Amino acid sequence: MDNIEQLIKSLTDDATTVRPAPHPFLLSFKWAFAAVVYLSLLLAVFGLRPDFLQAIENPWFVVEVLALLCIFVATLVTTSLLAFPDLHQKRAVAFAPVLMVSMFLVVIFFAWNADYPPASLPDHTYECTLCIILVSFLPAVWTFCSLRKLASVHYRLAGGLALLSATSVGALWLRLYEVNDSIIHVVEWHYLPMFVIGVIGIWLGEIILKW
Amino acid sequence: MTKIATDLEMLMQQALAGDKRAYAELLRETALFLRPFLKQKLSAENEVDDLLQEILLSIHKVRHTYDGLRPYKPWAYAIAKYRLLDYLRVHYADRLRSAIDMSELENALQDNVTEYRISYESISGEIRKLPEKQALIMKMMHQEGYTAKEIAERIGMTENAVKVAAHRAYKALKHQLEE
Repeated sequence: MDNIEQLIKSLTDDATTVRPAPHPFLLSFKWAFAAVVYLSLLLAVFGLRPDFLQAIENPWFVVEVLALLCIFVATLVTTSLLAFPDLHQKRAVAFAPVLMVSMFLVVIFFAWNADYPPASLPDHTYECTLCIILVSFLPAVWTFCSLRKLASVHYRLAGGLALLSATSVGALWLRLYEVNDSIIHVVEWHYLPMFVIGVIGIWLGEIILKW
Repeated sequence: MTKIATDLEMLMQQALAGDKRAYAELLRETALFLRPFLKQKLSAENEVDDLLQEILLSIHKVRHTYDGLRPYKPWAYAIAKYRLLDYLRVHYADRLRSAIDMSELENALQDNVTEYRISYESISGEIRKLPEKQALIMKMMHQEGYTAKEIAERIGMTENAVKVAAHRAYKALKHQLEE
């Protein structure tokens, strides 16, 4: 008990005024705001797909983009909750990505079925994945840096969701930029890599976020 | 209970504002309620002490993730559980490292497990003192000439288990003969 008393004394001597971290919802709002600015900048530089007005006439395209947006928001909010040891005591909200990813998979299933006769496959393949990775790099770095300042006890999950959130920004940008209606291509080279990168985030989380 | 809980939140709010007395009180209270929790999970008192110190350090390090507005105990327990799991992971990893690798044992046993160095008859008295299964394996190997694989099939054990039992029997015999 003497050791504990000594430690308490040294910690108390060391204690100064501390500003508490922002509420996770405020934190996710800041991240989302930054992502929206970043996305808008990218679209301003590279432009919207030329057939955008025609594309939004297809309800499955709109639903797909909205579902992707939901994944982005849900993963962002959950990542910010996971940055706190006790998940800011909002455990139920932390399960939102499960619901959103399930919803997304259902949307993709219906969009795939609605793609009849199938739209022609574009000539390019892995270039889309590369673009998503490049565009997602900045949001990923930013999110990981913010997470490191906090204290996640679920560091693997936080890493995975942080990367999923960042790649969903990239996937969202590409869907709004690229003239492409082939759902097969989109699944194969946009969404599957997006989830694979999310899995890599689990490993990165262990390396970067463990404290 | 509610009063103590409210006190903890208030103490943390004051601590975050720079009140050293409140902070010391909070850490003392935290140590008090975490000690029984750790005692349930760890057997040695010195381990409990070490881990408690680590937890208090962690609480100090990440106290900015607590705002003093939500219940304090779930936050403190989350950190305690995290440190406890970390501690147990390292502890068991060390134990695994020091454990004998089964493949190493197999290599060591491969050559000499059915080799006759001393005749069975000359040490049969010592063999009878072994546990029943080990004595049977020794008898089948050295008197009846079965291989470890054949013994495994006959007595319904795996080949590895037979080799391990034989290895233990050799060690016990060596010990008995040296006395």
